[in-house]
Amino acid sequence: MSAETVELICPAGTPAALKAAIDAGADAVYLGYRDETNARNFPGLNFSRPELADGIAYAHDRGAKVLVAINTFPRAGQPEIWHQAVDDAARLGADAVILADIGLCAYAAKTHPDLRLHLSVQASASSAEAIRFYHQAFGIRRAVLPRVLTVPEIAALGAAVPVEMEVFVFGGLCVMAEGRCALSSYVTGQSPNINGACSPAAHVRYIEKGDKVISQLGGFTINTFGSGEPAGYPTLCKGRFEANGKLSYLFEEPTSLNTLDLLPELIAAGVTAFKIEGRQRGRAYVSAVVKAFRQGVDAIRRGERPPAFALDGITEGGRQTSGAYERSWR
Amino acid sequence: MSPQDRERSSRPVDPPFSPVLLAGLALAPVPPRLLQPLFDAILAVVRRRHPDILDRLAPYPEAVIGIDPVDLPFVLLLEPAPERPRLTVCRDFAGAETSALIRGPLAMLFALAEGRIDGDAAFFSRQLVFEGDTEVVLALRNAVDGAGIDLEADFAATLGPLARPLRHLVGVGSWVFGRLARDMDLVRSALLGPALRGADAQSARLGELEEEIGTLRRSLRHRESRA
Amino acid sequence: MSAADKAGKKAAEKTGKPGSLTLGPVLFNWPAETWRDFHFRIADEASVDSVHLGEVVCSKRQPFFEKYLAEVIERLTAAGKEVVLSSLALVMTERERQDVSALAEVAGMLVEANDVSVAAALAGRPFVIGPYVNVYNEGSLGYLAGLGAVRACLPAELPAATIAILARQASVEIELQAFGRLPLAMSARCYHARSRNLHKDGCQYVCGDEPDGMEVDTMDGKPFLTVNGTQTMSYHYLDLLPEIGALRRLGVDRFRLWPQSCDMVAVAELFRGVLDGRLDGAEADARLAELLPNVAFANGYIHGRPGNALVDEGLATG
Repeated sequence: MSAETVELICPAGTPAALKAAIDAGADAVYLGYRDETNARNFPGLNFSRPELADGIAYAHDRGAKVLVAINTFPRAGQPEIWHQAVDDAARLGADAVILADIGLCAYAAKTHPDLRLHLSVQASASSAEAIRFYHQAFGIRRAVLPRVLTVPEIAALGAAVPVEMEVFVFGGLCVMAEGRCALSSYVTGQSPNINGACSPAAHVRYIEKGDKVISQLGGFTINTFGSGEPAGYPTLCKGRFEANGKLSYLFEEPTSLNTLDLLPELIAAGVTAFKIEGRQRGRAYVSAVVKAFRQGVDAIRRGERPPAFALDGITEGGRQTSGAYERSWR
Repeated sequence: MSPQDRERSSRPVDPPFSPVLLAGLALAPVPPRLLQPLFDAILAVVRRRHPDILDRLAPYPEAVIGIDPVDLPFVLLLEPAPERPRLTVCRDFAGAETSALIRGPLAMLFALAEGRIDGDAAFFSRQLVFEGDTEVVLALRNAVDGAGIDLEADFAATLGPLARPLRHLVGVGSWVFGRLARDMDLVRSALLGPALRGADAQSARLGELEEEIGTLRRSLRHRESRA
Repeated sequence: MSAADKAGKKAAEKTGKPGSLTLGPVLFNWPAETWRDFHFRIADEASVDSVHLGEVVCSKRQPFFEKYLAEVIERLTAAGKEVVLSSLALVMTERERQDVSALAEVAGMLVEANDVSVAAALAGRPFVIGPYVNVYNEGSLGYLAGLGAVRACLPAELPAATIAILARQASVEIELQAFGRLPLAMSARCYHARSRNLHKDGCQYVCGDEPDGMEVDTMDGKPFLTVNGTQTMSYHYLDLLPEIGALRRLGVDRFRLWPQSCDMVAVAELFRGVLDGRLDGAEADARLAELLPNVAFANGYIHGRPGNALVDEGLATG
């Protein structure tokens, strides 16, 4: 792979964000329907079928692609909701669908042999054998890699799989293997795999107590912020907990993945597509981050290092990490 | 607007001497009911130009969202019921059953509505505070962000023949308003323009408002001479 | 045979059988001798039908108990237990990939795939789908059955309604987790090491310090989760004793007990008693509470509630 062919895959939670992403230089946007068929099923977010049709037209007019995420696991007894989602994406001219469930992959491969299939990060395919399975069984053309691999592991994987590799380069960081985490449902009953929402807002409470703000999820305190501390959304793996008498961000600090500095190494490792997380974030975020990464990728194409840019203002807790890409993260 | 400059507390704090804070001082004596036509007009504009906002809020027909621009002397109640949405202006939330509250400086609320700032970022930095049903707040945030609102474009067209009394009001507080930058233009065009347009049909109220403006002018002159 | 005939035949088979008990693989890092003796006692005394062996959580632990693996398998097999080898759940490194390939080569024993890559390697021979493989619906279950799966231990978060649909339609044995701390998440990062300011590479095997995992409380002191190395588990112990009768009627064939450091022979005896109809579910539940007085129980998932919830009402099977 080379910097010439690498694609920038950008989040679109709404039609306005889709336009913002494409105007800022996205090669492709990914999005989901306004229902439980995608893993960002958040209130007020996502696309109706007519909005998807308009979005595809806007993107295609400007040479950009639209990838439709249908990456939750269909509910037993009601697969037709997910089947319809795939059918509609194909009918409306989506450039690919992003799937996680084995049964849904089988349906899409059989029903729409010409539809391009991408393997969602939610499928947690972390080895060459797993990715080869989805390729051989269903013809998936690209795998979005779980955020658990180091750069050398990605390079080794790239040499061993016959599909394109897409990796996350910016945004919210899952610290658990994606698609295999039941923490949210343990606390709230709502699961990313089933309902498409992690730490859903309906179960979030902010309680003001004196000069402190307490954030709770499903009745469990996830964090407390004193005056002067930046607050965070109570995603439960980014809370402060006590173990063996020590209070800490046991799983992960409230932080955002930022790999701008690692882009050249990721390209060298054979990565085809850079993905920016944040379908639940606003247009301002999408514009700023897409612009920065567009400049980064363009700089690499000219043989330069990606320019530094200040994204502190839009990262969680004002902090950044290169996550699992560096071995020391583990 | 650097976060370090801000005084930290559980309530969002606006920068010292923000234009909106000063506008808030100016608006303090204005009874909320006089401002109501303006918010009716705002809602009408939203319904006409951005029907998708209420569409995205359709799953919350019972919600009452309190919006508290902390630097203004009044608060808003938004009821997004699809058939009969309402945006009511009140002195405070006393007696109101809100399902959720959003507090923040008006400039930030506007910037949020226009998608100029990221809601998560604003919240992470504690400049916005949410209380109550977070899902409803998030739905509103996402719906508004997704609508691609441009306050100036949205409201410029609605100013109509009342541009003159509006300018009159703005002219009142040269001491205050002379310093106002773009933020105050937004306040002016968004808040006052449609209000006066709405008041056009109700000349009695318009008269009342003119009277308030007179009072305002006098009190501001007092301040100006003391300063 | 039509699908309806198949389902009918399966239902008839199920009503005749008492239901089976599985002892899951030990998920914690126990000293190798403790691990060996635990399984010897299970072989000699526990009324379970199948026993899983193997490292699921962290490949760094595997070398410790491997030296006792052969004798434990022998003892369990001699006692008439079915032995199933469980694979790692998160396969990333070259070493781990090799371990998985080796596992798939093992002849004459049933292997449990806890990662899709393992299921793929086992295709064409009978295998078990572990709870770390996402089987949420009939489409996935059917596909994996086509590869050779004969049994599936379903993910923890499924409600009874989903389980009923899968049990009705599946041609494979349906197993449910029924006792112990629930595996909730896996990570590349080791939280046990992190809690001691260490990294996974130089972890000093601190996960061995707590035989039932490291308890994690909220800031206001409420027990919340348990950390087991790279795995995050529930604080509560799952207990489906009161629901077993209803779940049997929904078509669940097997129940899995996750090993904890408590008296697992006694725990298994309670489940066996309920499955055999010797013991009432509520009565067995009360005895379990006496056996483990300091344990908090939960059963929320099966009732469609948050996993940490404890629901008293019975399970509707209509």
